[in-house]
Amino acid sequence: MVQIFNVSIFFIVFRESLEASVVISVLLAFIKQGVGRSADDPKVYKALVKHVWVGAAIGLLICLIIGGAFIGTWYTLGTDAWGASEDIWEGALSIVAAIIISIMGLAMLRLNKMKEKWRVKITKALEDSKIRGKGWFRRFMRKYAMGILPFITILREGIEAIVFVGGVALSSPAKAFPLAVVCGLAAGGGVGYFMYKGGDYMKIQYFLIVATCFLYLVAAGLFSKAIWFLQNFVWSGLVGGDVAETGDGPGSYDVRQSVWHVNCCNGQSSGGWMIFNAIFGWQNSATYGSVISYNLYWIALIASIMLMLFQEKHGHYPFLKSWTEKRKAAKREREEKKRLDASDPELESRDTDSETKEISISVV
Amino acid sequence: MRAFSLLATLAASATAALAATVQYDFSVDWVQANPDGDYDRTFIGINGEWPPPPIKCKIHDRVIVNVTNNLGNEPTALHFHGIFMNGTNAMDGPVGVTQCPVPPGSNIIYNFTVDQPGMYWYHSHFGGQYPDGLRAPFIVYDDDEPFAGQYDEDTYLTVSDYYHQSIPWLTANKFLTLINPTGAEPIPDAALFNDSQNIKFKVEPNKTYKIRIVNMGALVSQYIWFEDHDFKIVEVDGIYVEPTDASMIYITVAQRYTILLTTKNSTDKNYPMIASFDTDMMDTIPEDLVWNVTGWLTYDDNGDFPEPTLIDQYDFYDDFNLVPFEKEEPYEPDYSITVEVAMKNLGNGVNYAFFNDITYVAPKVPTLYTVMSSGNDSTDATIYGSNTHTYVLGYQEVVEIVLNNFDPGKHPFHLHGHTFQVIERSGASPDDATTLMYDPANPGTVNEYPMRRDTVYVRPNGYFVLRFKSDNPGVWFFHCHIEWHLAQGLALTLVEAPAEIQSNQAIPEDHYAACKAGGYAYEGNAAGNTVNLFDLKGEKLQPKPLPAGFTARGIVAMVFSCISAFVGMGCITWYGLSDLKTTEREVAEIIGEPLDDSDESK
Repeated sequence: MVQIFNVSIFFIVFRESLEASVVISVLLAFIKQGVGRSADDPKVYKALVKHVWVGAAIGLLICLIIGGAFIGTWYTLGTDAWGASEDIWEGALSIVAAIIISIMGLAMLRLNKMKEKWRVKITKALEDSKIRGKGWFRRFMRKYAMGILPFITILREGIEAIVFVGGVALSSPAKAFPLAVVCGLAAGGGVGYFMYKGGDYMKIQYFLIVATCFLYLVAAGLFSKAIWFLQNFVWSGLVGGDVAETGDGPGSYDVRQSVWHVNCCNGQSSGGWMIFNAIFGWQNSATYGSVISYNLYWIALIASIMLMLFQEKHGHYPFLKSWTEKRKAAKREREEKKRLDASDPELESRDTDSETKEISISVV
Repeated sequence: MRAFSLLATLAASATAALAATVQYDFSVDWVQANPDGDYDRTFIGINGEWPPPPIKCKIHDRVIVNVTNNLGNEPTALHFHGIFMNGTNAMDGPVGVTQCPVPPGSNIIYNFTVDQPGMYWYHSHFGGQYPDGLRAPFIVYDDDEPFAGQYDEDTYLTVSDYYHQSIPWLTANKFLTLINPTGAEPIPDAALFNDSQNIKFKVEPNKTYKIRIVNMGALVSQYIWFEDHDFKIVEVDGIYVEPTDASMIYITVAQRYTILLTTKNSTDKNYPMIASFDTDMMDTIPEDLVWNVTGWLTYDDNGDFPEPTLIDQYDFYDDFNLVPFEKEEPYEPDYSITVEVAMKNLGNGVNYAFFNDITYVAPKVPTLYTVMSSGNDSTDATIYGSNTHTYVLGYQEVVEIVLNNFDPGKHPFHLHGHTFQVIERSGASPDDATTLMYDPANPGTVNEYPMRRDTVYVRPNGYFVLRFKSDNPGVWFFHCHIEWHLAQGLALTLVEAPAEIQSNQAIPEDHYAACKAGGYAYEGNAAGNTVNLFDLKGEKLQPKPLPAGFTARGIVAMVFSCISAFVGMGCITWYGLSDLKTTEREVAEIIGEPLDDSDESK
């Protein structure tokens, strides 16, 4: 089963498509609320909605093309038979995957925050978007602002996803991709839709919590597996070619490093245990390295969460109170200065056609 | 390269009718040599020479060998392979069985009579020492042999495998370690004829040569043939057989074959003689290994020495079908021992060899010395230890050994102190998964007059049945003669008629002196306990088995990991559910407006 559905790919695609669908749902919500004079004219409303979807669809299409081409090229150029260094590749890629997932994962739990952040950005962008200037490009941007925003967002999120997926999953077979990608897209789109419909925040949050727990189980397993692969590489080097013929039995593992070993239930090769291996990092032959790294990962995660909770509650990280306040004060000063400059009488000709204002649709 | 010449020398007195005493003084020391021309290394030699000198005597002679260990860094011991040592069990030589190791600087005297004719050899029986060089032929001449007068010259030929590295180093670093979990035996570096290669065996036309052949190797059996020359097998392992025509023999380590080879009429050609490894016995065949060794029956010193012709298959004579000259019908057994041969890994990750789940571990006190110091308890096998795998045999009984080989390899087994009838020997099993086992109700082929010898091989996943008479009181070792397997513990001990040993034999003082010099115990049970022979505390045991499944360590690890995961997921949930007010604060920061009701500096 793990050969046709890669769990890590699913979660990455889910996360990225979640963010993209948040953007779209926020945009659609704005349009509903009357931004861009859509409240007055149902035709305008429909047109703007169409812009959003068309922009999104084009972005998605381009992403799929790029992603498909990338993965396809990678696999046809031949990734199999790393040979003797296969264990090192598996180990390195697993660590990369674990790190990527770990960093991305917790953001999913601040979906409301994500939504607010986008709402603010989009508001700012739309307010300042009295795009001045002649030139067909700016006219085009003005006219289709509602479509360009989702297009660029989706493009950006999608390429991010491709890069992350590439980092996570290049060691697994090509046929593990499609199902995982489709499911990830579906799940991300589904949550976005719920949010747009004003669905119960709590229900979504519960779902996201469960999804994130799963995600971190997978990441912890990946991290543990990475260490296991590296230790296996060292052991294979010591024993030489005979390791393969010992199967699951004595000689397939280093007794000095062994924490437990059962002559069955091999997570690399045996049916249902491969799922255990994919989700929990189960090994039939665990080493000190794999067990300790698993626990260290969780400890690190728990510590990070504690830090983040502290920061959210108090506005600063532990012990960094005064440093944080100094930074905030400096930032406020800069903002003040900017506002004073802006309201300088010399620059009051804001309404005139000047090319000084850059296109203010920032998708940063 | 050595040229062969007529061997007619007796080591001692010229009066052939009287039994003489033959004395050797051996100083065992390190000698440099380069037998395959590829690699100079130190060997264990005797009196400064390597190969060591052969021992030669006549039947009924007394042989006295005074061995001084001048190695400096290793103990030693000598075993005279195939010699019955009747009444002198202490002279047999295996360390841990009949004697202590002889430490550097000490000496030991082997004093025994030889009442059996034929070809034998002597070699070290300490650890895996003999492949480091301490082995040589032991020839017993017999004027009354059945084919006396049928030959012109009496000579010998040795074959051997050969390692460039020393055995202790190979054993510790390559073989008996956890990085060799399959127990793969180290591969020899070359094959040798007479401890050399490309030898020229000088022969004259129209003569018959009696060639006594011995395989002094550590691992590999060899096929031997002489191109265009057939021969007759006349003796194996000291047992005369009806002369049997053959063109190729298969000789395992420790076996001997004596053949009569009649040379051709003319001297126009020289003929290659070849010894070829049985490569089935090696786990891998390195690309650069030459597993044959060649010599030539040299009719013409100045002629060509042609390369040997390649052959498609080995057409060797199966020694099971040899008929002893002194014919005996199969014995009926009084006592039967059945053992299964298997190889397994124990808890230290190392691969060991087992007879019935016991891998041999030498006791603290040599078993013979336990017999001598145990009085009436000597008939109870317990006192000899849990890991010496000892059977106590009665006197003048017929003992049967049934050996079922669960290993997919060939093994040559040797019984000290006896020859045995080879009652049955199965073929190899058709596949690795099944083992052919002896079924007395469905016997296989039994010859009318079974072949007898002292070293016989069992086929992969096959079996054999041996029978012998326990007419030689002593402690006799039964083991695989592949030195690597002996190191892995493929051995058992037979204590034959212990009461008779006690009443009729004594241990010489110099043997005990060697024990004392090395700090070894020489009295008491296998644990050295002289007070309570049934208290084996402190005895040497085999390593613990591999843990089957979860041990305490594993369970703790699993529980901790589960706890970590649950606590982690709890934190994630807490984070996910935490207060929305946080979000508003963050949003306010993004927008740049101060919050209504809170002080940022809190």
